[in-house]
Amino acid sequence: MSVKIAEEWLACCGGCEVTILDIGEPLLDLLPKLEFVHIPVLADHKYFGQTGEKDKLEIPEADVGIISGGIRNEEHKEITTEMRNKCKTLIALGSCACFGGIPALANQFPLQELYDKVYRGSVSTDSADTPNQDIPPLLDRVYAVDEVVKVDVYLPGCPSAPQIVAQALISLLEGKPFALPERSVCDDCPVKREKKALVSIKRPLESMLDLEKEELVGSRCFMEKGFLCLGPVTKTGCYMTSGEEQPHIPRCIKGLMPCRGCFGPIRKDANPMVDMMGAISSIGLNAQEIPDRAATFYRYVGAQGRLRPIPKRN
Amino acid sequence: MTNTNFDPIILSFCCNWCSYAGADLAGISRLQYPTNVRIIRVMCSGMVHPNLVIDALTKGADGVIICGCHIGDCHYLEGNLKAQSRAEAIKLMLQDFGIEDERFRIEWISASEGPRFAQVMKDFTEEIKKIGPSPYKV
Repeated sequence: MSVKIAEEWLACCGGCEVTILDIGEPLLDLLPKLEFVHIPVLADHKYFGQTGEKDKLEIPEADVGIISGGIRNEEHKEITTEMRNKCKTLIALGSCACFGGIPALANQFPLQELYDKVYRGSVSTDSADTPNQDIPPLLDRVYAVDEVVKVDVYLPGCPSAPQIVAQALISLLEGKPFALPERSVCDDCPVKREKKALVSIKRPLESMLDLEKEELVGSRCFMEKGFLCLGPVTKTGCYMTSGEEQPHIPRCIKGLMPCRGCFGPIRKDANPMVDMMGAISSIGLNAQEIPDRAATFYRYVGAQGRLRPIPKRN
Repeated sequence: MTNTNFDPIILSFCCNWCSYAGADLAGISRLQYPTNVRIIRVMCSGMVHPNLVIDALTKGADGVIICGCHIGDCHYLEGNLKAQSRAEAIKLMLQDFGIEDERFRIEWISASEGPRFAQVMKDFTEEIKKIGPSPYKV
């Protein structure tokens, strides 16, 4: 008997769906055991029956539900609730579903301010009213899936990695639990740390070229070279992309880029910005030089109350 | 906005070697200072991680003060320098969290400065009373 899978995309870019397709050869072994009963990215399935005859949104029953994307509007919320009702196990796929992701950067501003900016404030736009016909109204902010319904498995990443999705699906098929380790990216990083910064903070892409000449293993830590790296506050797991290859090197580090934090905080209630500011100032970097602190440190994790409009001072 | 009934909660992280001894001296000298101050003894001001301060301020404290040895006097040589650079970071983050700068302070108080300890706590409590409860308090 095959396992039924329902997949749904909400406020996202579709990269995580590509990740599923990108599983490659392991997918061939998996496919006979899987049956996709609902997956808008691949197959047309209407929410209200094929001719729109039903008056309630309906998703077929499934053993595993996969949701990618955060919850931005009323429709997303309704779909998410229906997914939870119909799926035995619910997977949040990608950083948007797990922590709000890039769309949650909008949580820094009140909704009205966003509308004003998008429909009236920007110079390249003809001023117009906020559209309100035939579209679902936006929620007050972007929500992560687990703020609305219970989530069983988290597969973060922007996008998540095919190896991780495959592993999670395989363990679910075998009835085993799946969770990423509670370690930081630094724990898997091969560079050398001496806890003293050599220079001041650099712009993200400044003189990255020098790095290419260096051998990664044994070179100095990105942070100590002045590049902001979210490794210390980010959950590891992206090293799984290197497969059998040893040593396991985190994905961006392998490409000589500092970690951007897409795997989210190491523990659920951690606060990456506060931890990062501590880490930065204790190796002797000047925290004042960081451009756009909140958006830099909460780039992928703005939901769950982390990014919010700054309260006005009386 | 002065609220006479407002009883602020103030946390004070005091380093074991100077400021806690200073607080001790204030105590044995029978100096009076407001009871709003809750002292937490830490081994060094340099070990007070910013998330302790931010957590305190977002979860119910109205003010946080870190007290350490004077610069150059640190028992661990440069712990207070670390505390100082962390304090800079904390002040930046207060803006991001929408908390008034005045709610966080860092002071250097040596073991012999009992009266100064009492004075600092008095001033800080007064100031917090003046700005009122933390915006995170419901």
